Amino acid sequence: MSMHSTLLQTARAVASGEQSAAEALEASIARIEATDARVNAFTGTRFEAARLQAQRVDAMRTRGEPLGALAGVPFAVKNLFDIAEEVTLAGSKVNRANPPATTDAVLIQRLQAAGAILVGSLNMDEYAYGFTTENTHYGPTHNPHKLGHIVGGSSGGSGAAVAAGQVPLTLGSDTNGSIRVPASLCGVWGIKPTFGRLSRRGTYPFVDSLDHLGAFADDLGGLALTYDAMQGSDPLDPGCFATTVQPVSRSLAKGVDGLRVGLLGGWFEEMASDAARGAVASAGAVLGANSTVVWPDAAQARAAAFIISASEGGALHLQRLRMQAADFEPLSVDRFIAGALQPAAWYLRAQRFRRAYRDKVNALFRDWDVLLAPATPVAAPAIGTEWLEINGQRFPCRPSMGLLTQPVSFAGCPVVTAPLWPDGTDGLPIGVQVIAAPWREDLALRAGWSLAQSGVAQVRESAL
Amino acid sequence: MTDDETLRYVQASAVAVGLPLEATQAKRVAAHLQRTSVLADLLDAFPLGDAEELAEIYCPAPYRAGVA
Repeated sequence: MSMHSTLLQTARAVASGEQSAAEALEASIARIEATDARVNAFTGTRFEAARLQAQRVDAMRTRGEPLGALAGVPFAVKNLFDIAEEVTLAGSKVNRANPPATTDAVLIQRLQAAGAILVGSLNMDEYAYGFTTENTHYGPTHNPHKLGHIVGGSSGGSGAAVAAGQVPLTLGSDTNGSIRVPASLCGVWGIKPTFGRLSRRGTYPFVDSLDHLGAFADDLGGLALTYDAMQGSDPLDPGCFATTVQPVSRSLAKGVDGLRVGLLGGWFEEMASDAARGAVASAGAVLGANSTVVWPDAAQARAAAFIISASEGGALHLQRLRMQAADFEPLSVDRFIAGALQPAAWYLRAQRFRRAYRDKVNALFRDWDVLLAPATPVAAPAIGTEWLEINGQRFPCRPSMGLLTQPVSFAGCPVVTAPLWPDGTDGLPIGVQVIAAPWREDLALRAGWSLAQSGVAQVRESAL
Repeated sequence: MTDDETLRYVQASAVAVGLPLEATQAKRVAAHLQRTSVLADLLDAFPLGDAEELAEIYCPAPYRAGVA
């Protein structure tokens, strides 16, 4: 495994006193300084503030006060999370003119309350509209496993920072696949919880109907610990539907005992390369999955997610598009404008379809506890790739990286992305989506734990 | 919609929402909208009864007597 301490190893070392929070932080800072000129994961750092925070954690330990579950763990966030006294860029040039945030985003507050140390903010596709993090304003983020290749997006900096060993934990957002795609292409663990599980307060929106927040980590146990620390209701966030905290960390070791695990066929096979299907087969073999399951109306769900994203995203930015279109990301500005001009009838039909679709997807989980599918059709393409070929069909590269994630998030299901390393990818990873019924993150994480224990899913050290 | 119809729609709707578009950008936007129209056709063909409501997007706040 990695020469760097993983999230869980760091948390345990600080908890036991084997390592101080300051030592863990300095190791992270040194790694960022040694590698980020090549990776370009970070758009901002706050090392001095982090050092003060680490000193506070170490002082608490000295005084014998109880430490949080993530005490001393360095982390970073996609730059659409508010950080007090900093401008929330959301990957844009336009937002540079905005005033600084007055408070930290709710999820940052919760991780800091658990003792984690915020070290900086991370690159992304502008306003989260993209799957590649080829950001024209801040430069593309480079895949730590092959520097000329993309990291996925839109939370590309979040995937890359973990894959590069810069920090063991990052936060991101996922509207149509923006956690799962970079987790897949960077070979790290990711969690996109149930839609409405986590508070989105203090983050820059993209599509209110679809935006989720979640995390990336370099080990499964640490990911579960982080997820537990982020949970909680938030009456001030109209998009947060959770009323109780449902901790998962203590149930992980149950693994897949007693769970019915299936393999998604149909759309999820047709839109996947041989390597992506191979990754799912390897995961399925470990989890005892033998049956192929057909997910209902996946093509229509992907279409509806696309239309809703375009409409809501375009409408959100319409005033800025009127005045400042020239300052937008050239790779996405025309899509934003097209979305702003879509007929209302397209949007409304997509929202009506979504309600009927939710009931069909939920019905599937009467027979299955966990379902597996590739997270991306292929491993990371080279930066600048315009077209992909999947099973003889030609697709535009940038939107197609989300072909396999969009139908799942459109139903709001929780997904753990497990890092696998199939043959035929020139050493690059492809993630497997471990999907459970809404509000059953515990089952997806238990299956992820089994994959981690078997060794079939693992985070590998990059050659940086 | 044909390509020409899509372009005319883009030009007219951009005026309607006050979005200035020069000719070459209008063509690029129309190409995106044309691709999306294929997805819209897919949903249009999906059977939805009149009773199928929108996914929820609005919830009234709880009413408390005497509180504005």
